[in-house]
Amino acid sequence: MSINRRNFFFQAGGGFASLALHDLISRAQAAVTTPLSAKNPHFAAKAKRCVFLFMNGAPSHVDTFDPKPELTKFDGTPYKGPLTVGSNSRPVGYLMKSPFPFRQHGQSGLPISSLFPHTSAFADDLCVIRGMHTDTAAHASGCLQMNTGNVILGKPSLGSWLSYGLGTENESLPSFVVMTDPRGGPISGASNWTAGYMPAAYQGTLFRSQGAPLLDLTTPPGASEQTQRRSLDLLEKLNREHSATRPGDSELEARIQSYELAYRMQTTAADTVDLSKETAKTLEMYGIHNPLTADFGRKCLITRRLLEKGVRFIQLYSGGGHIEDTWDGHNDCITNHKLHAGETDQPIAALMTDLKRTGLWNDTLLIWGGEFGRTPTSEGVGKPGRDHNWHGFSMWLAGGGVKGGQAIGATDEIGFEAVEDRVHVSDLHATVLHLMGLDHTRLTYFYQGMNQRITGVRGEVVKKALA
Amino acid sequence: MLRYTVNTMLVLLAFTVALTPLGAAVDFTSQIRPLLERHCYSCHGPKLAMHGLRLDFRSHAMKGGESGVPAVIAAKRTQSLLYRYIAGLEKNLRMPPAGPALPASDVELIGKWIDEGASWPESESAALEEDPKFRRGRTHWSFQPLRRASVPEVKNRAWVRNPIDAFVLAKLEQKRWQPAPSATPQQLLRRAYFDLTGLPPTLLQQQTQASLDQVVDQLLASPSYAERWARHWLDVVRYAESNGYERDGHKPQAWKYRDYVIRSFHQDKPFDRFLTEQLAGDELDEPTPETLIATGYFRLGPWDDEPADPDTDRYDQLDDILATTSQAFLGLTLACARCHNHKFEPLAAKDYYSMIAVFDGLERPRKGRTELDRPIGTRAEIEREKARDARITPLAEEIAKLKKPFQTKEKNWESKIPADVQRQVAALEAQIAALRKETPDLPRGYFLEEPSATMKPVHVLVRGKPGAHGPEVAPAVPAILVKQQPQFLPPAHTSRRRLSLAQWLASRDNPLTARVIVNRVWMWHFGEGLVRTPSDFGLMGQRPTHPELLDWLAAWFMDNGWSLKKLHKLILSSNTWRMSKRVNAEYQKEDPENRLLWRVPVKRLEAEAIRDSILAISGRLNPTMYGPSVFPPVQPQALEGSSDPDKIWKASPEEDASRRSVYVFVKRSLILPMMEVLDLCDTARSAAQRLTTSVPTQALTLFNGDFVNQQARYLAARLLQEAGSDERQQMELAYRLAFARLPHESELREMRAFLERERAQLPGENASLHALQQLARVLFNTNELVYVD
Repeated sequence: MSINRRNFFFQAGGGFASLALHDLISRAQAAVTTPLSAKNPHFAAKAKRCVFLFMNGAPSHVDTFDPKPELTKFDGTPYKGPLTVGSNSRPVGYLMKSPFPFRQHGQSGLPISSLFPHTSAFADDLCVIRGMHTDTAAHASGCLQMNTGNVILGKPSLGSWLSYGLGTENESLPSFVVMTDPRGGPISGASNWTAGYMPAAYQGTLFRSQGAPLLDLTTPPGASEQTQRRSLDLLEKLNREHSATRPGDSELEARIQSYELAYRMQTTAADTVDLSKETAKTLEMYGIHNPLTADFGRKCLITRRLLEKGVRFIQLYSGGGHIEDTWDGHNDCITNHKLHAGETDQPIAALMTDLKRTGLWNDTLLIWGGEFGRTPTSEGVGKPGRDHNWHGFSMWLAGGGVKGGQAIGATDEIGFEAVEDRVHVSDLHATVLHLMGLDHTRLTYFYQGMNQRITGVRGEVVKKALA
Repeated sequence: MLRYTVNTMLVLLAFTVALTPLGAAVDFTSQIRPLLERHCYSCHGPKLAMHGLRLDFRSHAMKGGESGVPAVIAAKRTQSLLYRYIAGLEKNLRMPPAGPALPASDVELIGKWIDEGASWPESESAALEEDPKFRRGRTHWSFQPLRRASVPEVKNRAWVRNPIDAFVLAKLEQKRWQPAPSATPQQLLRRAYFDLTGLPPTLLQQQTQASLDQVVDQLLASPSYAERWARHWLDVVRYAESNGYERDGHKPQAWKYRDYVIRSFHQDKPFDRFLTEQLAGDELDEPTPETLIATGYFRLGPWDDEPADPDTDRYDQLDDILATTSQAFLGLTLACARCHNHKFEPLAAKDYYSMIAVFDGLERPRKGRTELDRPIGTRAEIEREKARDARITPLAEEIAKLKKPFQTKEKNWESKIPADVQRQVAALEAQIAALRKETPDLPRGYFLEEPSATMKPVHVLVRGKPGAHGPEVAPAVPAILVKQQPQFLPPAHTSRRRLSLAQWLASRDNPLTARVIVNRVWMWHFGEGLVRTPSDFGLMGQRPTHPELLDWLAAWFMDNGWSLKKLHKLILSSNTWRMSKRVNAEYQKEDPENRLLWRVPVKRLEAEAIRDSILAISGRLNPTMYGPSVFPPVQPQALEGSSDPDKIWKASPEEDASRRSVYVFVKRSLILPMMEVLDLCDTARSAAQRLTTSVPTQALTLFNGDFVNQQARYLAARLLQEAGSDERQQMELAYRLAFARLPHESELREMRAFLERERAQLPGENASLHALQQLARVLFNTNELVYVD
């Protein structure tokens, strides 16, 4: 029986992907196929790689990409509408104007607040989706939904789906890279980049921007580089001798090769974080000289380097830990957003500049946003914090296949609820997959009696976002 | 009652009708039936008949449902309930109740059809095609009673050690194929150890004079067997010790369930008893601490302490229980029937909610976001403790009342309470102490409770939405599996619905339970089951490669008291299990999946067995059994993904951390990185089978990681100590510890050259230790270690 890889990856109904995968490895005869071998998309892809700039903690849309003059008009008056926030149905307080003036930018005149002076230069490239909404107002389930399409724990994340569907172009680096904030990871930690019920090969790999980027990447203490090489050589000899008396078992061969890949990964991954060959100008552009932007700047620069080497999906977290260490501006949204926007604006703009310079821009998809938005109200008089808002928020897409210079959809006049061209998180996922050349209804994984999809039974591609 | 008030909507519609050009008469079969099928039959068809209404028969439609109001009245569209509901003329409800409304053109088509007299051919009513899934389901192999096939005759009788071999050989002989030759005694010894205990044989064990059959008996009696096989079961029941989500709170005392499973395997608890204790240990006539802890089974799943929607969350928790139970014991994906009838299986939403009715009495003891544990004891002991607490409460309240006036913000405010009040407080405290002494605290455990024997009514939920009540359901098992529903016991202390379910699951009439567990055991020995979808025996699952053998084994298993140890023994005594794992190129080409079992398949060891073996080989394995879980060290870098990197994982002392992996704490938001990278199963849901992948990050962990390098150091020291300074003896000892064999000359040559160069690398008194450590690291990474012959 010949194996048609595309068949079993994309049409798992009636087949059994998890078993088939095992079979694939054990049955491949000549060439060793790994779970991460590159695969063709369903149709011509607009983007080959994807970067998710995850603004952890939930940025306020009315302070960033969704201007609301009505808020200024009614600033300080109590909110009288029917909407609630949070899982405890907290009262929503008083309408609060944005302290950040909006200005129209670029030829498109896309309004962006003063929080993003650098990103504003790319207004004509951004496609702001103002009609976003999600199913939960809790960070844990909100992050899970944004990353895995479901508020329930344990579903594979977007990066896992992409790795599963497309494989990677460079097996000496992980296919799905995650870089967290120095203040901590997102709530629910690794559940946000889990492969869930899929093989572990598809899960996100934590990548550090300083020191050794991957866990256990460096040669252990006590072993020199020569020892490392000699040890690997001895291992291969012993393994080859073992295989010689067990011909035909390609699983053994796959494992032998994984050690060579790991050895290459030691060099490749370490090279990626070695910024010594970057020019002073580049480092400055990313803000690496400035303590405020240094960390996210490094990550953005490393992102460009990872993209150059063919990494499929990179997720960068801005904000980590809890409350004000993230975009979760409950107490003082103004100070909070100044900090987190200040840390990320210049690095993101530098990444966009660099992607355009290197030509990667055309087939790299950028996603910016958090797990939900924030209320147009304050949490009390004279207390400039904003609460969670799952009824409406903004995200933006840019890069390969995206129609920039536009804002799609709208929230109501005060920015509380998405009312026009509503885009559910599952619609966003469908759109991202579409741009990556995958049909979200065909990218399935057979598990527990069903062809599972990241979009479940939902998901519509946001056509207006496509170039 | 119908309301005949003409509202604006109706006017608009009437207007639309007037504009519709007159055309050919509407045809029921080609135009109306498909609409009803698409939009109505999932609820108002043969499977559900919600509110007593079916729209698949003319007579039913004309009669109407429970309300007695006809759904269709010929020529009177605005009086026909069907039309009123789909057109939105009824204020409170539009049909379909969820999802988009029917397009206006379809609504109009139905209206026109009614206007024209609602012609509905009789033949259409009578000959409604039954859903093909249900038709297939009635003859589906796994839903049929066990067939007791006789053991087949084979030509090569000498190969048959027990009936397993006859079934396997008969299939091979049909193709004129030979079973693989037997593995060598050394290979079989090592295979038996890994299969049964997940550990390599020690030097002493390698010198045994016992036969393989005797070795198998010894291993089955050892605690290591129970520790390995308990872990297999923990995969199936989604075992973890934290809840996941934002706080990922630890489940208090959850390890007692793990210990219960180990003890059950150790004492070879009959599987029917084992399942009954887990599903209904609290509903038995005489619950014991053991059977109460067993019901921790229900509480192992993830739990969101801050759910987006509490009503949905309640059903999510029930769904976790139902999904686990139906997969674990029945091999059915019943959870897919939550929102509608199962798309691929003969399982209706009604079946789903009938099973929900079995579990709906269970409640989670909690105080807000904090979970509470529960007392463990007999009913009388628990009552006594309750009565004691009822006496303590007023005393404690009295104490609080006495102290309150003196409370300040100072730290030591209690010392400033006047002496006479202090005396009163002390007297009350003495009373409490006496009560506690008289009735000491019961130990605590982690399980749900069913606080009442009376159950609330359970309804089918339309499209799975809480509040969208369909017909009420009684507790029942999936209809396709039985000719007659099993008798549900009358309530006692609890509803006893779970006990009734357990009794049905464990009855010999049940076609699935024995097949499913026997197949799992086969899979855990061979890497693949006879049914290769071990938690899916439905229409979508794979058919067994050896159906007669599976049925024979299932029947044999029940005949032998549901004893897992006897089943292991039977399997390990077969020549089938003793076959070599070598590939036969010709067979491989024709049967690459080894469906005919021409060899024993190759499968990499699981994460636990790899880690435990390395500890055993280095000599550092701490064999302590049972008790709270341990936390092996995790590098700080691996904690960076957590929102609480400083608090999330407090490492245990090394000796504790060197216990078997089954005792490692399973934290849903932070799986021990080595276990995770080596394909530990998904901890959020029941896991049918470990997947195996080979990726470079595994190699990094095993080659560069702290754990392996530390153990390599220990092994090097052990080699020096036990084998002395003779290099050959060192290498031979290493090979015997790791692979239960002596190295070949060619291997010795390679290793000797390696050691020599490494010694030169680091001359001095530690040269040998350093070189041996590097060699040990290499051996820990070999394929031979993780692919057992």
